Amino acid sequence: MPVADTSASTKRTLLTAAVSIAALALITSFAGGYFVYLLNLIGIFSLVAIGLNLLIGFSGQSSLGHAGFFAIGAYASGLLTKLLGLPFWVAIPIAGALATVIGALIALPALRLKNLYLAIATLGFGIVAQKLIFEWRTLTGGGGGLQVPPPTFLHLSVSDGNRMAWVIAITLAAGTWAASRVASGRTGRALVMLRESEAAAGCTGIHVARYKVVAFALSAFYTAVAGGLYANLVRYINPESFGVNMSIMFLAMIVIGGLGSVRGALLGAAFYVAVPEAVRGFKDAPGLIFGLSLMLVMILLPGGLISLFRKRKGNAA
Amino acid sequence: MIAELIVGGLASGSLYALIGIAIVLVLQATEVPNFAQGEMAMFATFVAYTLLTTYGLSWWVVLPATLLFAAVQGLVVQQVVIRPLLGAPIINAVIATLGLNLALHSVAGMIWGNQTHVLPSPVGDQPPFQMFGVNVSQDSALTIAVSVAMIIAFTLILRHTRAGIALRAASQNQSVAKLMGIAVSRAFAMAWAMGAMAGAVAGLLVAPILFLDVNLMGALLIKGFAGAVLGGLSNLGAVFFGGLMLGVVENLLGAYVSGTFSEALSFTLIIVVLIVAPNGIFGRVKSQKV
Repeated sequence: MPVADTSASTKRTLLTAAVSIAALALITSFAGGYFVYLLNLIGIFSLVAIGLNLLIGFSGQSSLGHAGFFAIGAYASGLLTKLLGLPFWVAIPIAGALATVIGALIALPALRLKNLYLAIATLGFGIVAQKLIFEWRTLTGGGGGLQVPPPTFLHLSVSDGNRMAWVIAITLAAGTWAASRVASGRTGRALVMLRESEAAAGCTGIHVARYKVVAFALSAFYTAVAGGLYANLVRYINPESFGVNMSIMFLAMIVIGGLGSVRGALLGAAFYVAVPEAVRGFKDAPGLIFGLSLMLVMILLPGGLISLFRKRKGNAA
Repeated sequence: MIAELIVGGLASGSLYALIGIAIVLVLQATEVPNFAQGEMAMFATFVAYTLLTTYGLSWWVVLPATLLFAAVQGLVVQQVVIRPLLGAPIINAVIATLGLNLALHSVAGMIWGNQTHVLPSPVGDQPPFQMFGVNVSQDSALTIAVSVAMIIAFTLILRHTRAGIALRAASQNQSVAKLMGIAVSRAFAMAWAMGAMAGAVAGLLVAPILFLDVNLMGALLIKGFAGAVLGGLSNLGAVFFGGLMLGVVENLLGAYVSGTFSEALSFTLIIVVLIVAPNGIFGRVKSQKV
């Protein structure tokens, strides 16, 4: 990349960061608590989308089990805070690390599986994870759910949504930055090569198995961190919510946003939270409208929502 | 005891197999795993329910009417939702079927409400009968018999009718099939219609055993996928055996190992099987040109 280009993109990044910080400061001081709560959810699901996108959009693998990682992140961080008294900002990374290890282990059977076979195997993982949380009552509280203690940062309570928003925003910014680095770097190129042709990737010296494991582990880490933040935001978690449907919606989210693009992941997460919210008033209709919009976006914008912006940019140039 | 468990497992396994076959018919033709299969079947079952209870028609009228409805439903879905997406990546069509799934679920809730209904069984409340000294319930017997008949009929159609052969050719290679003068789009429409009919039959068979509500097919769809993958997606026979096996294993695990963990254990078993046989038990490895 030429030097001038890099400095221009640095300037743009700085500008985006400044605008985001100002916007977040304004929103958290003036907008209603519910609006901030929705923004927080969008931030959390954006992290999931970014992680899942590295796996599906970049390396071309499939997963219908990521609700399992989300649940592991939520429960591990919640239990570490509740039982060991760890602060949330220590508990969440530990939960993320745990999920990374599990993600890498899940990748081992995935090495030989493709397409629908892989989808069903990962779906199986999600079902098993949910069931284990459900039945391990002495630890997790089972179907009764788990109350997560209010998060604090060095004696400062962040249980308020407005303060949690900063935690989520900072995590998301770090996550986005790291994912862009991974995507544009050596690993990202290797993953794309893997997606296009495993045989060709192998021939050019890319260690296919290793990169598949890396993709699974990375996406598991992102998803579990998001799960941890979710647990600290809503402060009551229940295994019921981390089922197959959640995994399927995660998949829908990133395809709607646009596969293989970090910004697409953010758009997908916003769509996933905002559209059902906007039509919540109609009885029975949210499913209908959300379902129809999924179909319409796929038919009209095969590249996902991100292609709206790309097209506009193309016309302007 | 064990024989009864196996018969019960075969009955639920036949349902998984019917859904699995519905999925694989569509998958082989258009390469789209149809996540709307469950709700399409649920919708058709509700249509049958309305015909049976509101209009008081007999099963002899309702069954063909429901099959016709299912076939039309499959055709419409293929033409309206899937056809515009055939050139795009497969995942787009998958998400579209997911959207259809949500939409149908919601529409069914609007029309029939979210409470449970009772679909009268076609065999009524007759007592179970004995077969080789094993108690077999009428519903189980009907389920197994109908699904076996359905598999045989579909296999015969695919092997021996012009339309079936055209469908197989179009599944093998779209462009060559087109060059041979096969109406590929019509063949795909037929696959969707057959899939929807198999799904509807599964719905009609399962609804009298369980209760009929909008969540009827959710679990069944997942099991259908799992059974199909377990057997191997390459032919209908493999899918059928995969579904049966899943049903029996699940029933036996539930009775002898752990009732609460039977589902989790079956999926663990599926993962283990897939590690050993990545294309399912009877699946053929598709050789890939590099």
